[in-house]
Amino acid sequence: MPMVTLWLLPALACYALSAALFVFDRLSGRTKATGYAVAILGAGVVLHAFDLTARALQAGNIPVANFAQALSFLAWLTALAGLLMIVRLKLGVIGAFVAPAVTLALGAASLTMSSGHVILPAPLRSVWLPIHVTLAILGYTMFVLAASVSIAYLAYESRLKSKRAIGPANEGAPSLEKLDRINYRLLGWGFIMLSLAIVSGAIWADARWGHFWSWEPIESWSLAIWVLYAGLLESRLTIGWRGKRAAALTLVLFSLLVGSFVGVNLIFPGKHGGSFG
Amino acid sequence: MDQTLFIVGINHRSAAVALRERLAFAEDEIAPALGRLRESSPAVLEAALISTCNRVEVVGVASDTARAADETLEFLAADRSVEQAAFADVVYRSVGRDAARHLFRVGASLDSMVVGEPQILGQLKTAYAQASEARTVGPILHRAFHKAFAVAKHVRQGTLIGHGAVSISSVAVALAGQIFDTLKDKTVMLMGAGKMAELTARQLNALGIESLLITSRTFDHAVALARELDGTAVPYDNYKPYLKMVDVLIGSVASTRPVLGPEDFESVLRERRYRPMFLIDMGVPRNFDERLNELQNVYLYDIDDLGALVKRSLGDRQREAEKAEQIVELELESFLKWLAGLDLTPTIKDIRYSVERLRDVELGRHRGWLAQLEPAVRERVELLTHGLTNKLLHRILSGLKHQDDNTPDAAFAAEVARRLLGAEPGSHGAAFDEDADDDDETGTD
Repeated sequence: MPMVTLWLLPALACYALSAALFVFDRLSGRTKATGYAVAILGAGVVLHAFDLTARALQAGNIPVANFAQALSFLAWLTALAGLLMIVRLKLGVIGAFVAPAVTLALGAASLTMSSGHVILPAPLRSVWLPIHVTLAILGYTMFVLAASVSIAYLAYESRLKSKRAIGPANEGAPSLEKLDRINYRLLGWGFIMLSLAIVSGAIWADARWGHFWSWEPIESWSLAIWVLYAGLLESRLTIGWRGKRAAALTLVLFSLLVGSFVGVNLIFPGKHGGSFG
Repeated sequence: MDQTLFIVGINHRSAAVALRERLAFAEDEIAPALGRLRESSPAVLEAALISTCNRVEVVGVASDTARAADETLEFLAADRSVEQAAFADVVYRSVGRDAARHLFRVGASLDSMVVGEPQILGQLKTAYAQASEARTVGPILHRAFHKAFAVAKHVRQGTLIGHGAVSISSVAVALAGQIFDTLKDKTVMLMGAGKMAELTARQLNALGIESLLITSRTFDHAVALARELDGTAVPYDNYKPYLKMVDVLIGSVASTRPVLGPEDFESVLRERRYRPMFLIDMGVPRNFDERLNELQNVYLYDIDDLGALVKRSLGDRQREAEKAEQIVELELESFLKWLAGLDLTPTIKDIRYSVERLRDVELGRHRGWLAQLEPAVRERVELLTHGLTNKLLHRILSGLKHQDDNTPDAAFAAEVARRLLGAEPGSHGAAFDEDADDDDETGTD
């Protein structure tokens, strides 16, 4: 279906251009290109939505039949949520992380994306598919954004500690307090989504196979990551691990998440059928 | 003819404040003073007076600028009762291009003590308004001031000259804004009685904070300041229990050793769950151990750190100022072109008006006779007179135009033509529009 790929490459081009502009602004310490970068990112989101819609119509379900499609869906949700955060919360600074990440994800997805008819494996044809997968991907989206906010936090934090925090580059920069609060909220929402994804997956598994849990690699990893995020949130509430420590831990957990997301899905596909949980 | 701008004055670079304050004018003194200047100084054709903390300047228009400047200085000396010898050495004078450049640079805040400070533009606007009130503004000053306002706007928009905090206290306030999202729920504690520290506390307080704690060795001082700033005085020998509430701590206690070190903060930070703390050390010797900066979510800035940031902001502004100078030069060219053209423009307007008027008067005189003619014939007659005056005007104006525009010769020729044609200067009553372009009036139909 050539119509499907018609949207994908322009969307990818928009993401790449937007990423280049965001990164240029970070490096030059100005915000001249940010307005254009945001608009182009928005155009990418729209084009990408056309691609996803076309694939969804073709599949008769949300387009997550294989790893590439799921990755593309994650990239889109991240771009959309990142765009909302940049505009609503005036966080242009995270664009330099979000846009390249989205470009990378969609670039990787498009390399393996087939333009032909993708048949959804029979066991996955269920109303639970969109619920379970959308929740999981939303959770991952929150974690990607939390990581981007954490990177911004660490960058500004080090500037403040090393006393370089005044100048044109810092005018209009978000405060540490704001970044820390947003990070906390994103982690909270991500954790809720991940919890619901695990629960919905278990219910689905019980309905389909008669047992809640089968200790597949992706399941074990997800559970481990769930525990770690729970610990991260708990440490903030009890001992007050906030600020720099919270940002650093968010990044550590995020790299573990990327490891499980990419590694486990490619190396030990299991029942999740080359997709992920 | 050949009117141009001149400036005489003193500023923060040329003269000390002791002299500046003696020559200064209060705002309501300016318009009457300009009236007196006009009376006493015949060579001064237009004038405005700029009087701020950093400068006392008269911007004027004259043909004989040297005489006008002398007269202005005599006026200043007499009016302010300061002997001229007291400021003769520090007065600067400039004329024409240099005077216009000076005015534009002043307006763009390039001549300010703190380059890029925003007040000067308002002060310049006030000076213009007062000169207008005193009726000492003519077409050239009108144009010059409006051009200066436009340059200032252009510089503000096109450069970062007004950016960055440029005083110790404003840097501290800006840093607080980088750490905290809002100060509304924050507690500030001021330790000691240093002036700079107090100023910083006042600035933070004015932005709206949750509470202000003040502690000082002299408890009475703390109480007095707390009363004034709606804060709370805390005894100096027992302030440490309050530290856990404090988000911004400003220190300026006289002490040879740091009064607070990492050991004082261990339990404090734990109790406040590592919410960020901003420590501003304005004491010399320093009040806070520098190792405090290494603590989790604690940001310590001493007076040198703040000073270095001020210096950096000033450096940034200086770089932006170079861009601003280019804008000034560009606008200066356009203004000077207009000024040079000005010698011809009103004269040409006068001539045109005078000839048109001649035709109207003649047609009016023969109105009765004309009315008896056939409409078609009457129209022919009117066309004939129109043709004649147009031909005449065309010859004169294109003759003038062939002269080199910017020379005194051209102005002289125009003036001769005006007199020969009996045109009264300014008789058409048209004011010069500030937006009128440089040479749009010198062309012929």
